Amino acid sequence: MSDDALLHDEQLQEVARRLGARAADRLDVERTAQAVVARLRTEPRAEIRVLGRIRPAWLRIAAMLLVVVGAAVVVRSVWHNQPAATHLVAGAGGGGGAELNDLSLDQLRQVLEDVGQPGEEYEAVSSQDVGLEDLSALELRALLESLEG
Amino acid sequence: MTPAEPVAAVPTDAALIAAWHGGDEPAAAELVRRHARALARFLAGAGALAADVDDLVQETFIRAFRALGRFRGQCQFRTWLLTIGGNVVKDAHRRSRRARVVPLGDGLRATDGDPHERAVAGEAERRLAAGLEQLPRMQREVFLLRAQQGLEYAEIAAALGTTPGAARVHYHHAVRRLKEYVK
Repeated sequence: MSDDALLHDEQLQEVARRLGARAADRLDVERTAQAVVARLRTEPRAEIRVLGRIRPAWLRIAAMLLVVVGAAVVVRSVWHNQPAATHLVAGAGGGGGAELNDLSLDQLRQVLEDVGQPGEEYEAVSSQDVGLEDLSALELRALLESLEG
Repeated sequence: MTPAEPVAAVPTDAALIAAWHGGDEPAAAELVRRHARALARFLAGAGALAADVDDLVQETFIRAFRALGRFRGQCQFRTWLLTIGGNVVKDAHRRSRRARVVPLGDGLRATDGDPHERAVAGEAERRLAAGLEQLPRMQREVFLLRAQQGLEYAEIAAALGTTPGAARVHYHHAVRRLKEYVK
């Protein structure tokens, strides 16, 4: 057979049909049959191996779920821990500490009452048993400025 | 005129499979006898080392008998067996992690005819085997099932979970690439 002949499909198929023929001829079929039957009889069924194949897939799924849930928790916590006090102060005071000077005493108290829902800063003030009504305008401005950070 | 001798009915593969499910070990042995050589040729064509073919034939049959509950008769038992053999060869290659060299060994040598013709034929097989290794798995298996085992595209498609048209395309791609390798 020449090399050029291989370019024809039929001859390529002929070569393919010969491929492995010697290996097949060498095979001791009867011995193989007996060996297969013996292994089927003696070897335990491969449930463990099946579990072994499944386990990595489940582990990957579990790991992916963990990552998704973890990311969701992080995003949620970041979202909820935004500095509410700053937002409120900014909203009430027009967006800057400089405007605090323009607020009246009553307006300052109102802002602080709005801001002062259970925040740590407000607790620091209340721990001294001081009410908003007891603070001067100067003290209220200082408190608001501290809240602004 | 003498009456014809009664011909013993040859059990079909399906009957043997049913018998094996019923615990009939000789039925399993008969299935091995029927299909072992075709499987050995397929494994060798798919890249199994000649020295490994015996073991891989056994391993393929063990896997097949273990998985017989999932065989729905979508194709012939032999075709289904050969696709399992493809998986076995792939796993064997992964395990061995050794450079695959196709030796010009007994498995690839012709033993009859003119010595020069034998040498040329052996060279053609060696190059075809080397070319098959370069093909994507689907193309390689479709080519072997078609060219080596002589199966129809519909049968190949059923075994490999594709369509006859796609199997035909894989075959033609394989032939085109193999011609490049062997010319």
